[in-house]
Amino acid sequence: MTIATRNGDTLVGKRMPRLHDDRMLRGHGRYVDDIDETGVLHAAIIRSPAAHGTITRFDASAARESGEAVLVLGPDEIGRLTDPLPTTWRIPGQHLAAVELAIRTVRYVGQPLGVVVARNRAVAEDLAELVEIDIDPLPAVVGIEAALAPDAPLLYPEHGGNVAGGIHFGPPVEELDALFAGAAHVVEREFAVQRINPSPMEPRGVLAEWIPSTEQLTVWASTQVPHLVRQEVAVGLRLRVDQVRVVTPDVGGAFGGKTTLYADEAMTCLAAKVLGRRVKWIEDRTENLTASYQGRGQQARCRLGLDADGRFTALHVHIHGDVGAFLSTAGSGPFQVAALTIEGPYRFGAAGATVTAVFTNAVPTGAYRGYGMQESAWIRERIIDEAARELGRDANELRLLNTIQPEQMPYTTGTMLTYDSGDYPAVLRRAVEMGETRRRPSTDRIRRGIAVTGNVEITGFAPSALLEMFQIHWSGYETGTIRVNEDGTVTVFSGVTPMGQGIETALAQIVADELGVPLEMISVQLGDTATAPYSNFSSQASRSLPLAGAALITAGATMRERMLGLAARALGVGVEEVKLDGTVFRAGTTGAEVTWRDVAHRGWMGWGRGETDKILLEETVSFDPPGITYAYSAHGAAVAVDLDTGKVTVEDYWTVNDSGVLVNPLIADGQIIGAIAQGLGTALLEEAAFDPETGQPLATSYLDYVLPLSEDVPDIVIEHHVTPSPIITGGFKGVGESGIQPPAATVGNAIANAVPEIAAGLTATPLSPSRIWTLLEQAGLEG
Amino acid sequence: MKPPAFDYQEPRTLDEIVELLARTDQDATVLAGGQSLVPLLNLRLARPDVVVDINRVPGLDGVEVADDAVVLGAMARLATLERDPVLADALPIVPEAIRLVAHPQIRNRTTLGGSLCHADPAAELPAVAVALDARLHLRARDGGRTEEAAGFFQSVFTTSRRPEELLTAVEFPRHQGFRFCFEEVSRRHGDFPFVGLCFGVRLEDGVVTAARLAGAGIAERPLRLPAAEAALVGHRLSGDLAEVLDAASAEVDPPSDIHGTASFRRGLLRAVIRRAAARLDQGGSR
Ligand SMILES: Cc1cc2nc3c(=O)[nH]c(=O)nc-3n(C[C@H](O)[C@H](O)[C@H](O)COP(=O)(O)OP(=O)(O)OC[C@H]3O[C@@H](n4cnc5c(N)ncnc54)[C@H](O)[C@@H]3O)c2cc1C
Repeated sequence: MTIATRNGDTLVGKRMPRLHDDRMLRGHGRYVDDIDETGVLHAAIIRSPAAHGTITRFDASAARESGEAVLVLGPDEIGRLTDPLPTTWRIPGQHLAAVELAIRTVRYVGQPLGVVVARNRAVAEDLAELVEIDIDPLPAVVGIEAALAPDAPLLYPEHGGNVAGGIHFGPPVEELDALFAGAAHVVEREFAVQRINPSPMEPRGVLAEWIPSTEQLTVWASTQVPHLVRQEVAVGLRLRVDQVRVVTPDVGGAFGGKTTLYADEAMTCLAAKVLGRRVKWIEDRTENLTASYQGRGQQARCRLGLDADGRFTALHVHIHGDVGAFLSTAGSGPFQVAALTIEGPYRFGAAGATVTAVFTNAVPTGAYRGYGMQESAWIRERIIDEAARELGRDANELRLLNTIQPEQMPYTTGTMLTYDSGDYPAVLRRAVEMGETRRRPSTDRIRRGIAVTGNVEITGFAPSALLEMFQIHWSGYETGTIRVNEDGTVTVFSGVTPMGQGIETALAQIVADELGVPLEMISVQLGDTATAPYSNFSSQASRSLPLAGAALITAGATMRERMLGLAARALGVGVEEVKLDGTVFRAGTTGAEVTWRDVAHRGWMGWGRGETDKILLEETVSFDPPGITYAYSAHGAAVAVDLDTGKVTVEDYWTVNDSGVLVNPLIADGQIIGAIAQGLGTALLEEAAFDPETGQPLATSYLDYVLPLSEDVPDIVIEHHVTPSPIITGGFKGVGESGIQPPAATVGNAIANAVPEIAAGLTATPLSPSRIWTLLEQAGLEG
Repeated sequence: MKPPAFDYQEPRTLDEIVELLARTDQDATVLAGGQSLVPLLNLRLARPDVVVDINRVPGLDGVEVADDAVVLGAMARLATLERDPVLADALPIVPEAIRLVAHPQIRNRTTLGGSLCHADPAAELPAVAVALDARLHLRARDGGRTEEAAGFFQSVFTTSRRPEELLTAVEFPRHQGFRFCFEEVSRRHGDFPFVGLCFGVRLEDGVVTAARLAGAGIAERPLRLPAAEAALVGHRLSGDLAEVLDAASAEVDPPSDIHGTASFRRGLLRAVIRRAAARLDQGGSR
């Protein structure tokens, strides 16, 4: 572990601004929509206005005859010209293993049915309105309960039910039932988490160019996963993968919403191919709020058993996940992760989790920052709080009584996760301590309360053997390439991608340290399938830094040795005599010097190498760790509840977080703060709601989809613990999703602490004024 | 999210505006601050043939203070009114309510006339206009008329303004002896409120002799609360207001939507009445 042992002024560990900050802050970001417009045609997507039905007529003749349309494709043409996109992560019982691009059965409002191409977007939208679509309506299935009702209309009658699939982790339910029967105390609750829109600042977008003469397709896409997009475009458009190049320019946030190719994006690529032209489609905000895959959306029945001392004897959760109209690429993945992570930092006599995935007439759900672990934190931390209240015990004391101890590491949970390292009680204790100074008094109509929660999260999702076991078709490993160029500059490639999180900077810090050269010499170039090492998993699941960083440490160490060897030969001395000082190699005995640049030049000329040495000044390493590395944290919140209005104000928020070795604590803090802000949105504000009768989305603009503003987020206090991961070179753990998981649970418990009269009813988010006020009214506390 | 094609006109005089609005061969829409109209155009919810941009017509943004009334031009920007010292002195309830509208950037563009003509049922300024019995000055090519605020606001985004009419100014009577304040509960600062209330009373020896209450977000339009007003008379603001709260609860039938249920809004109405009363009891605005 070179990083931890190197002394002095390493870049790893340095709190420094991201290399692109200056460019971004000056408005010089270059997103898909900023790419040169020359010759670009614009697409608009024809979408279903109904939640459920069968298309009986799709008549584009008026649009075609207008003289303005360059191309109109409807479901039948698209069906003929494309193949469905294979899914990545399936659930037992899943009957569809691929996503059709356009079909005549509509299952959600906003489902793409076709594409119109015109000289500009406004005209394309005019033409899309001219397309006449008749839909034979079917009753809409809105929400999990409606989907599971005995007489529910079916989304896939041929499948025989609205259950999309199911899986169970841990000991069988009967075994758990027996433990509950013998428990001194059992708490049971039904919890719900709303659907969330990921809300990246930059919505999705693609620009596709097909060159008929060379038969090459280039796709500039706002995505987290260029290789997966390439794979899916190739399958969808019946091309070889080497005919497709995917490039990601700057990406303005993604949060999980850009982890697959969507049908509307594929249609844009298809239009480019049909036309042999450049075609662009930029998602607008209404489309983003209605047609981008959403996150969360689940109901869970949870039981917690305790013995007379308060030790957790059993835990079982049955999660019903709303997958929407079909299983997207990752499908039920988030619900499976919620199940797998239900235990968090605690020991249970036995624990198990069941997932039932359910079809509804709503846009599919998929990845959203936190990926199931926000849900598991919500369920677990709330039910522990409820147990403490029912038993008349202090919730934190109960937590600490049941927390996994550091000497129990590595620790294998009931759902068979093996936690690698950490001091879970230490962060909990510290967060409790930090809360002591943050408790403020209540007044007549303002109640105040605080709470602390604990969490453990999967980060650096790997290794490939684990993914193979679950038959998840993502590359679990990550690759890093370091190329020392002919002029001595260093280019770094990896399969991970930037989306504003600052990964380029962190990787540059690692490589500069390993090579021993100044940061300015490093250029990290990501997101182009023509140059990036293969990774179809890429930047999601908090994996970029731990996995790509680890690969680059090893690649860097080898490259450094090679450069030293070349320098020694140039200087005519033994390699042990050569020292790199800045950008100059110096021989200890003779004092002779050769620059890093000259050594690079000599290397590329093929000079001064041994018979068996390789020439190419490039080192590529794939890192496939032995297991998952787990970050963990404790979060604390102090809230004020207005009994007159049901409004909750988060007055203080703090966290103690362990993400292993931090390459750039400033970036880590930014990730945690931003994620907590998003988590507060889930806790209090955001909800992608649907009309219960028609299935029409109700939050179609930011007027009705309510995101937290800066005033809604208090100054967040962050403390770091550093337990290097024993299984990741460099000791890193992920941090990108840490902040978002516990806020809903923490705020919920703080409200329960402030107003215990309504605690038992705090089972669904968002904890909006209307919801809280209704609980207050039921408790007779409202004004 | 691009608007359908429309013609764009940029008149320079009031006469040119009303001339354009009078044409019957095309459907014209006035563009004031554009903070509501432009999104509506982009969402294709508004589809005018012609957009009449009135931003370059001088003389529509005045602030005139007389003994018995304040007349504000329809094109006065909220950001300007918010900081106008004469207005702050003559009719402080207007700047007070303005500070609850949206955010500074949006108030830089938003106009008084736009806010009233847009007629969002949760908007603050329509409620102020109703509470104060403002008179809206409307001009068409064939003449002008004045409409009482109570009759102007009809339903969600619907007013009694005829398509050929331009709102030129709003006359707010200065209710001598009254003090007003605005209380609201919104989800985030700057949002349209769940419930807002313009609350005004005249006191003699601490006892209410007359009251003017108008709520936002409690109906399809800003609503006066005559029963609550009547119940207030004879009470002290610091006293027991149960009768007033019950009267207000009974006379409204608020909507339910994704942001809140009807009973929640009813509860908030009680809360803002209590808060407004407490504030005016402590001094409050005039
Ligand atoms: C993020 C955001 C938050 C907001 N929050 C609030 C809030 O909290 N409270 C609130 O009250 N408002 C809020 N608004 C609405 C904002 O104040 C609107 O812009 C305003 O209601 C309309 O004013 P405008 O000058 O922009 O009018 P425009 O958008 O130009 O016009 C609105 C409508 O009025 C018509 N119109 C305008 N002027 C005249 C005239 N003189 N004669 C005839 N017709 C006319 C137009 O034709 C159009 O139909 C918010 C807006 C945004 C974008």
